[in-house]
Amino acid sequence: MAVVLSKERVGHEEVEKFYQFCKNSINTEVASYLEACVRCGICAEACLFYMGENVSGRIDPTLTPAYKADLLREIYKENYTLLGRLKKLFGFGLKIEPEDLKEQVRLAFYTCTNCDRCTKACPMGIDTPKLVSIVRGALTYAGLTPKDLADATNMSVEKGSPLGVDTQTFLQRIEFISEEYEVEVPVDKKPSEYLYIPSSIELMKFPASVASAAKVLNRAGVNWTVSTVAHEATNFGVFAQSKEVTKEMLRRVLEGAKGLGVRYIIAPECGHAYQSMRFIAPNVFPEEWTFEVLNIVEFIDKMIKEGKLRINKKVLKERATLHDSCQIGRRGGVLREPRRIMNMVAEDFRDSVLIPEHNICCGGGGGVLVIGDADYYRQKAFISKMTLFDKAKAKTVVCYCANCMLALTKSSRELKRDYRFVSIVELVAEAIEEE
Amino acid sequence: MSDVAFYDFVRGPFLKFALFVFFVGIAYRFFRVIFLGLPADYAKPKGSPPFMAVKKIIIKPTMGWTFNEIFSRRAINFIGGFLFHLGFLGLTFFVPAHALLWKEITGIPFPTLPNIVSDVLAYAALGSLIALTVHRALNPVLKLLTGKDEYFANLLIALIIFTGLLATRWAGGGSYIWLVSLHLFLANLLIIYIPFSRLSHFVYYFLSVGFMGWNAGKRGVSF
Repeated sequence: MAVVLSKERVGHEEVEKFYQFCKNSINTEVASYLEACVRCGICAEACLFYMGENVSGRIDPTLTPAYKADLLREIYKENYTLLGRLKKLFGFGLKIEPEDLKEQVRLAFYTCTNCDRCTKACPMGIDTPKLVSIVRGALTYAGLTPKDLADATNMSVEKGSPLGVDTQTFLQRIEFISEEYEVEVPVDKKPSEYLYIPSSIELMKFPASVASAAKVLNRAGVNWTVSTVAHEATNFGVFAQSKEVTKEMLRRVLEGAKGLGVRYIIAPECGHAYQSMRFIAPNVFPEEWTFEVLNIVEFIDKMIKEGKLRINKKVLKERATLHDSCQIGRRGGVLREPRRIMNMVAEDFRDSVLIPEHNICCGGGGGVLVIGDADYYRQKAFISKMTLFDKAKAKTVVCYCANCMLALTKSSRELKRDYRFVSIVELVAEAIEEE
Repeated sequence: MSDVAFYDFVRGPFLKFALFVFFVGIAYRFFRVIFLGLPADYAKPKGSPPFMAVKKIIIKPTMGWTFNEIFSRRAINFIGGFLFHLGFLGLTFFVPAHALLWKEITGIPFPTLPNIVSDVLAYAALGSLIALTVHRALNPVLKLLTGKDEYFANLLIALIIFTGLLATRWAGGGSYIWLVSLHLFLANLLIIYIPFSRLSHFVYYFLSVGFMGWNAGKRGVSF
């Protein structure tokens, strides 16, 4: 049975559910953000979707982040403020039409990747991704998740992964990776200290990333394993903002990690995987989630510092720049680590931003990549991204998120550009090889 | 009503009433939001959330400036906004006439600005307010985001600065009492209006930016 619905028709029931969800999501933090907006619109200039349209010569003011939270703001006002309540009491309350919810789908699911750049530029520090997440949650609660995203989310619950990777496929892929890349990958090894959980995007589309992570883990000499229970790091529940799916996907990770008795979980090159395991899971399972979660880039940096890994050579010869994953970087705090690594593995590394938190999203995060109807916006967003690559005069772009890499590769191909996207873990794996 | 009686009224009971509404209204708006509560967060922070919350409250207004491309496209917002806030706050508390009034009300002596500085601040605030309003009326993004509230607030503040300048500078002392009374009357309206409008953002600044800083500390980002 589908957990997340994608209804075609929007009626009164959906509007009511949307409304109630928004109303019940208000707390001090959310209300502070909703109240603090001074309508300056600076966030628009920070948004890659708005910028992408703007660069193309078309101004679409509805892509302004502040505007994306406006319906939520109105719902807040008429339920929590004195004037709003009075207006509602005298019949001047908010009237939400089904068409409005369709527009909300466009604003929250197609044109926002929860990248957090607007928060950094906003003079009032408003965390628009948090507000957009509430709108997403309300739409999902009303059964209005975009179809492609709903299908992938349901697939992850049913089969264990949004790409349909079940335990059997997982084992086949691990076997293939072990043989093809000549690397040992321990499966369900007990006891282990580290549990490495790949994402199915890597398993199916970038197997070299998984092989490289395995090489790095082996070389670091840590006691590690992969799990047949916790075999998917991606959490599409976070994209759809479905609490049930988020919990279910995390429960599998918890079960696998507990069963193996590990102390550390290593999140792969996947933004939302890191976000969900590092910052969400401890709140979903406050008692049981006792693991320390590290992103693979964090792990590599730690091992280098501890002297367990040695970078022997600069494997990247050409000019290269770094693309930051928003959920691992700006929202996850792993920004200095990849830069330290880049300086070790690349001969000509040029950062495209002065402050790492300024970097621009790939345009496909937050589930936007899987939504076919959002392709237009993703491509426009890529134009914003391209300006940074061109500023650094780099054709080679190093990434630390498979979802970013997939989105960038797709957009680049669609717009007929010749950028080359490579994984930072692959570079490290190459750089630690013996001469 | 004679000019002096009107002056006494707006400077006396009306001002007290306005301040009463202001403090009650602001306290209500602040505590209403505070009492909504927060869910517990069990995720181990990567940095220091309290330190970052305080740091951001202090430096946040300048953070946007570091985005060069945003600054270049929105210089009017950054420069105009900065000058307006500087002028507005400087004028409100530290113009000699105002400082005297606040001392009378609070009993605390306020430092005073030299006249020339007050003048510069007044022109800077009025000029930037006009520029920001024109920008608001023409920019497509701002047109979408702006409601009556913003225009009313801008008009009211502009009139207050204008009547202040008119009374003390431009009218050369003519109709002084009436102009000052009008200035005070409009200022009282503004004081009453603040808790009912987005002008109360100065209270939410501490909450919103505090949360943003807290989250930055939690995630271990420095910016």
